Amino acid sequence: MRKEAVISKGLRHVHLVQAALLLGFFLLLLLPVLTGYSDYILQVFTHALLLATLALAWNILGASGAISLGHAAFFGVGAYGSALLSHDLGFSPWFTIPLGGFLATTVALIVGFLCLRLRGAYFALATLAFVEIPKVITDNWDGLTRGSLGLVGLPGLPTLRLGSYSLDISGSPVGSYYFVLCYALVLVSVVTLIFRSNLGLALQAIREEEIAAQAVGIQVQRYRILSLLVSGFFTGIGGALYAHLIRYVEPGLVYGLHFSAVPMIFAICGGRFTILGPALAALILYPLDQFIFHPLAPAGHEFLYGAIIILTILFMPAGFWGHLRKGQLVSIKTGSIE
Amino acid sequence: MSLLKLEALSKKFGDHWALRDIEFSINPGEIVGLVGPNGAGKTTMFNLITGRHKPSSGRVLFADKDITHCKPHEIRRLGISRTFQSSRPFAKMSTLKNVVAGRIFSTDFDLFTRPSDIETAAQLLELVGIAHKAKLPAGELTLSEQRRLDLARALATQPRLLLLDEVAAGFSPVAVKQAVELVLRVRERGVTLFIIDHFLTLSLRVSDRLLALDRGEKVAEGSPQEVMRNREVIRAYLGMRRKDE
Amino acid sequence: MWTTVLVSGITLGSFYTLIAMGFALIFGVTHTFNLAHGELLVLAGYVAYWLWKTLGLSFVYTFPAAILAALFVCLALQRLFSMLSEPLELNSIVVSFGVAILLQNGMLFFFSGDYRLIRIPALSQGLHLQPFYLSYAQLTLLVLSLLVIAILYLLMRHTYLGKALRATIQDREAAALAGINVGAMGILAFAIGAVLIGLAGPLYGCIHYLYPTAGLQATLLAITITIFAGIGRIQGLILGGWILGLAESFAVVLLGASWREMVSAVMLLLLLAINPQGILGKEER
Repeated sequence: MRKEAVISKGLRHVHLVQAALLLGFFLLLLLPVLTGYSDYILQVFTHALLLATLALAWNILGASGAISLGHAAFFGVGAYGSALLSHDLGFSPWFTIPLGGFLATTVALIVGFLCLRLRGAYFALATLAFVEIPKVITDNWDGLTRGSLGLVGLPGLPTLRLGSYSLDISGSPVGSYYFVLCYALVLVSVVTLIFRSNLGLALQAIREEEIAAQAVGIQVQRYRILSLLVSGFFTGIGGALYAHLIRYVEPGLVYGLHFSAVPMIFAICGGRFTILGPALAALILYPLDQFIFHPLAPAGHEFLYGAIIILTILFMPAGFWGHLRKGQLVSIKTGSIE
Repeated sequence: MSLLKLEALSKKFGDHWALRDIEFSINPGEIVGLVGPNGAGKTTMFNLITGRHKPSSGRVLFADKDITHCKPHEIRRLGISRTFQSSRPFAKMSTLKNVVAGRIFSTDFDLFTRPSDIETAAQLLELVGIAHKAKLPAGELTLSEQRRLDLARALATQPRLLLLDEVAAGFSPVAVKQAVELVLRVRERGVTLFIIDHFLTLSLRVSDRLLALDRGEKVAEGSPQEVMRNREVIRAYLGMRRKDE
Repeated sequence: MWTTVLVSGITLGSFYTLIAMGFALIFGVTHTFNLAHGELLVLAGYVAYWLWKTLGLSFVYTFPAAILAALFVCLALQRLFSMLSEPLELNSIVVSFGVAILLQNGMLFFFSGDYRLIRIPALSQGLHLQPFYLSYAQLTLLVLSLLVIAILYLLMRHTYLGKALRATIQDREAAALAGINVGAMGILAFAIGAVLIGLAGPLYGCIHYLYPTAGLQATLLAITITIFAGIGRIQGLILGGWILGLAESFAVVLLGASWREMVSAVMLLLLLAINPQGILGKEER
């Protein structure tokens, strides 16, 4: 009896949640019109979307059960890679952004080589330490990277033209906003594909019971490194996009704690093992931070993120989206959560 | 030709011999019980066969192929599966999906689950008698249901040799009777079985042969009746040992 | 020149041992990692700086205030950690990472992002001992660090509470069976850790610039030394501290000052690569 009650309750809120998601999506689509093309609001949401993609990318590794405190390493390498290739060698950003992603993947391979025998707490500590390495190298390799001063005047993203329509990506906040929105949708599709496919099933098996996963023939290390590489790749892409959007890189900025901590916090707060949770958390919490907490405490407003992660771990370890979806477990055909 | 052959198999943890010079073989289609008191080395033997631990010396042959240095997933692909003493379900996956996971990764990798995989998994749940729990998270099953799930998941990998670790420990007489039937049905599917059975609840009824271990060494093998009459085995179980040991 | 490097390495290393001791003690007793350790150290430094700079308090009197501040935060942290569920090690890392962010932003709010240094004129002079140079700052650091380490060592060896702490570190279940209140030992470990941080913080403010995000370096070196030492060995902590201190001193001379920050990170990664089971890991049967 009790089980049936849970099922019907789960089914009822499926529709509600789907309606809310759809509404949210349309709000995002129409945001520039709704906010009267306010540059400030659009910039905030552009960065929120970028953070959403970083949280989604973080969560691809998160799905294997690992917690990384050092994703800024991939972000920074992606940003610097694309920045230097486009600025010094004059390549188009369209070409250098994927290259930045591949550079980040190479770094992820090194992390995998060093750290993938580690589990849980020790993997987290290793990633925390690892960020220092590309950061200090970038800081000191003056000849290549211009050192701690950073690099200004990076080429922006070229205007896209389709017939008579054109989208000025770097020149206008609206252009940047729609471009990052498109990229976020691409990443949502990628994550959906991973989570819903047998790849996601393997990652779920590994995080829930590694020994049994091995026993049914899952090549645990291969899947763990794959999730790390894909996660690093998209984090690197995010870094490269960021570099061309703000047209400026600096070691303290792109390797900073912000880009390690905030995507991780969004992913855990939204729900580590859900598809949309990390992105939703970014789209809710970052604007909250910028519109409410930043004006209150211009210095120190990021304490919000510290408070959020503490409260999440203590009271809702599955994340809010994971928590909301629990009731739906039984309503999906083969019965798994996403 | 024997299906599984252990040659002088030994494993040392520090100074302690967990297994020492074991010679043993299993023929296709047999049901063999592995018995012995706590710490005899039964689970260690399973860990060596499935590649979770590497032996200190000796060899493991499966269908005449040396698998001593193969990785766990390679051994799994060759056709050896196992269950665990304390069952290890993927707790937040549905029961059905647990079995599907067993099925998918035993064949070449497909990006998506085929309907036929789900069908096969459902049939296996039917076989072990927990089809009605298919959609529940595996973590919500009772202990004996989890053991059955473990068995279904191992069967889904289509093994030729199945290692069962304490599949009926703590079962009620009725449940033991069901387990006996289940094991026999599994054999009918052409699977050879090697069963750890500390309390002999299952193996005396279904085994063709028994292998008895005590403190890492083989003390007896043969028909259940022979082994149970063996003085060394009785001594090991009753804890009566010579003073000088 | 090399003797000077050696001396500064040993001095720095002894101080690093002092920094790591609180972290190691808390980890040993409660099996939780406190990633806010460095932030606590910087906070204690800021408290000392503020009292010394704005109230003109003598540097010596800033220590009690720094200890009180560290004690307050540490005991709050202990309450927080006691609410955690398994896996304790990983959850403590994530939660204390959150606490570190809270503290960083709190310090940014109250002390701003400017670089601060406690400059004590008397400490900037030094002794020209042949064949090396020793500044009074180094001397103070060396003597105080070794003194505190020695006191802690004696307390752990010869007092009832010290023995109870050591028993808890070695085997929590056995200690509980022997009638030791393991929960209380956890609180005690945090309290002693806070005292150690309160002593180290003001000294830290004399040799390093204070800024809100300075703590990460200190946290990393505390983790590195603790993992190097393994559990429950003060000797291991001293050796680990010295190795790290020497490695940093040599890195500064051979590669340049800006490479120093990488040393503890590289050492930690190497340690973990060699021993992937971590500190508590055992080979399973």
